[in-house]
This record gives sequence, C-alpha cells and structure tokens, in this order.
Amino acid sequence: MPIPTVEAVLTLQSWLSPGYPVGAFAYSHGLELAVAEGRVGGAASLELWVRDVIELGGGRGDAVLLGAAFDDWAQADTAARAFAAGAGRLTETLDQGRAFAATIAAAEGGAADPVAYPVAVGRAARASGLPRTLAAAMYLQAMAGALVSAAQRLAPVGQTEAQGILARLRPLCRAVGAEASHAGLTALSGAAFLSDIASQRHEVKHVKVFRT
Amino acid sequence: MAAMKDIAVIDGATQPRARGALRIGVGPRGLTALRQSGALKALFPHRGSDQVVLVNTAGGITGGDRFGVVLEVAPGARLTVTTQAAERAYAAQPDETGQIEIDARVSGELCWLPQETIIFDRSRLSRQMRVDMDAGARVLWCEQICFGRLARGETLRDVRFRDRVEIRRGGRAVYLDGLDLTGDVFATLDRPAVAAGGRAMASLVLAGPDAAEHLAAVRALLPATGGASMLGADVLVARIVAADGYDLRVALAAILRRLSGRDLPAVWRS
Repeated sequence: MPIPTVEAVLTLQSWLSPGYPVGAFAYSHGLELAVAEGRVGGAASLELWVRDVIELGGGRGDAVLLGAAFDDWAQADTAARAFAAGAGRLTETLDQGRAFAATIAAAEGGAADPVAYPVAVGRAARASGLPRTLAAAMYLQAMAGALVSAAQRLAPVGQTEAQGILARLRPLCRAVGAEASHAGLTALSGAAFLSDIASQRHEVKHVKVFRT
Repeated sequence: MAAMKDIAVIDGATQPRARGALRIGVGPRGLTALRQSGALKALFPHRGSDQVVLVNTAGGITGGDRFGVVLEVAPGARLTVTTQAAERAYAAQPDETGQIEIDARVSGELCWLPQETIIFDRSRLSRQMRVDMDAGARVLWCEQICFGRLARGETLRDVRFRDRVEIRRGGRAVYLDGLDLTGDVFATLDRPAVAAGGRAMASLVLAGPDAAEHLAAVRALLPATGGASMLGADVLVARIVAADGYDLRVALAAILRRLSGRDLPAVWRS
C-alpha cells in the first residue's frame, strides 16, 4: 500500500536534495561544453537547453529508467548502461547510482548493489512504497536544479533567474515524470542529440570544472 | 526469425501497399542462404565481394508497407550491406504506419551501411533493428536520417517517426537507442540541445575487439557538431548532427572508410 503523500514527499526531498552525498555537483551533463562552445550563454539560453534535456534528452530517459526499475531493476540497469550516450554519461550515472545505493543502504536500509542512478532511485522508491510518478517528477526537478546550479558556476546566471527557470520548468517535470515513469523500457528514446554530443566532446576537454 | 514471421502474416483489415521480405545468410565461402519476396531484392554487384545492395522496388515506404530483413553472418564470414538509393519515407494516411524490421545474427563481421533515410512531411514510419552478436563478432552499424527534402524547400510539420536499435552481445544489450519524433519535427530540430537547426543526423556504432583503437582517429575526423565515446571497453559510439545530408555524408565518409577498412560501397559514391 502506498504511503501518504506527505511522507513520500519528505522522503524523496531528502533523497534528491543537493545535500544527498551522490556528488551531483561534479557533473554538468554536457552543459559545461555547451557553455564553452557558446551554445549556452545566459539565463535565456540555459532555460531552453535544460528544457530540451528534461523533455527530450537524458531527463526523460532517466524517468523511463526510474519507472522501469519499479518493475525489474536489474533489467532497467542493463538498459541504462546500453542507452548511455558515452563513457562520460556512464560514469555520471554509475558513480551517482553507486553512491546513492550505498548511502541509502547504510542510512535507512535497502539494496546496496551499484546500479545506474535513476535505477537506484526507482528501486529504493519502490522498496519504500513511494509512487513512481512523484519519484520521477521530483527526480527530474532535482536534475534540472543540478543543471541550473552547474550553469551558475559557468555563465552569468543570477540566483533569482535560476529560480525563475526552475519554477517555469516545474510543469514540465511533472508532465514528463508522469508519462515516462509508466512508459516502460520500449519507450527509451532521446532526441537531445547536441546534448549527448556535448557530453561526448567534454571527455576530451583539457580544462574542466565538471567531470561531465 | 521474428521479422520474417511477421511479414508472412497477412492482415485482412488493411491492405498493405507494399511488402518485402529478405533473408541473407553468409558463410566463410560466400552466400549460404538467399530468400527474397515482394518489393525487397538483393543485388550482389561484385563477384566474390562481401557486399550486398538492398533494393526497394516499391521506391520508398509509406503507410501500411511492411519490410523485413533477416541477416545471418556465420563465424569467419563478412557481410557489408548497403542500399541502392536513399530510403524515402513518403506521406501516408495519418493512421497507417509503414514498418521496417531488421534482425541480424552475427558471428562473423557485419557492416551495416545503408544510404540515408529521408523523412518526408506527413510520413509515418516505424523501424526496429535488432543485432545479436556472438562474443567474437564485429559489427559496424551506421544510420543516417535526413529530415525533409531540403532542395525542394520541404518543411516537416506533421510526422510520426519511431526508430529503435538494439545491439546485444551474448544476449545482453550493449547498445540501445531510440528516437521518437512526432508532429512539427522542424520545430524540434531547431531546439538548441536537439540539432540547433540541423536537418540531418547520423548514429554510428562499432562493436568489436578493435573498437577502442579507433576512438582517437574518429574524434579527429568528426566535425564540431559530432561526438564519439566508448560504451565499455569494446563499443565505440558516435553521433553527428549536420545541416543537411550532403554535409553529413562528407563527415562520415572518412570515418566509415577507416572503420570498415575499405572503400565505401560504390553506390554511396555515385
């Protein structure tokens, strides 16, 4: 039986907060390269970029994987590894997934086997009886938050502008989370080509702030 | 195999405009199986070469069409597959989707190098490719998609395109990709993290023991809108976005020459 919404939100908020020790601050998901190449230069272009990632790129893909982990996390993990855009993305998702699983196992019990990050979150959410739609929407909002916060270290984006972007992306996080988390692995797809290409190109960048 | 079996089933409710089924098997000494029916034909342009050219005699694909291809590459064998012309996804009735299914079972080496697929406005196309590799197999796979007939000023405002690729080795997925483009595709392609106005895209995979050796060279050959990386020790992946099909092909030519170890199929160069 699902737990009450308030408890579910409280649990997910702590798991997905920037303070949860998964090292989210170390990854930009290709955004650093997009800034370096002039594709993202300020608040307006940042908002468009993050919107694409959440709706058509790694965000939606992760929401599909998170939802699929409710049904079969091992299968979702295999798919996550084969679906990654490259070595950088694979590191990004596996390192965070490993840290998330280890932390949650130690802090409140649960599976510690290292899996891709959205799979680890989906697996833990299911074990705690949390609804997948909510988990996926909050995961996407956390991802948007991490991207915007990464951009603030790279480009002139003010704190108020950053929060404005996140507020406007909230309905998208909700919609994509609802659709993708119930879509199943056959719905895994992505159209954010330049975001994927940016993360591939980031791997050979010489001076880096972020790992991806 | 699944693709072959599905094609054999006649659906009485909707009359397909075209259907084609093709099965090709190769062994170390050449062709071991060849079955073709309907609008799909296989040409072997050079005696003794490993190259086969697929021909869609229907001239393209539209709603209700179904094409199935099955490829079997035995240990020690090599097969290079290309197409005689670009595959054209024509306008279709809104509720009728053309389907292409390709299944490959590879113990030797497969180079899947079709010419580009051109998506027309109001087309509905669903494609699925599955490759099952043995541990020692090598697969070079490349697909190019061109959005709209740009020379004619065509814009894509009402499209349904679904594409799925799965490459498995020893039964385990090593590469998975999917693309769902619906509705106003040009508006989607204009978005900054999608294609920033580009109208052509290629995906490339090299799965095999030598994949990592080529990474640096592939990266050096890529344009600024292309990227390459490794998915594990022996799967190289690359993606290129380009303004149009011509730029895309130029960017790909040298990379494919290197990864296939030979000149591109002659049909590619004409």
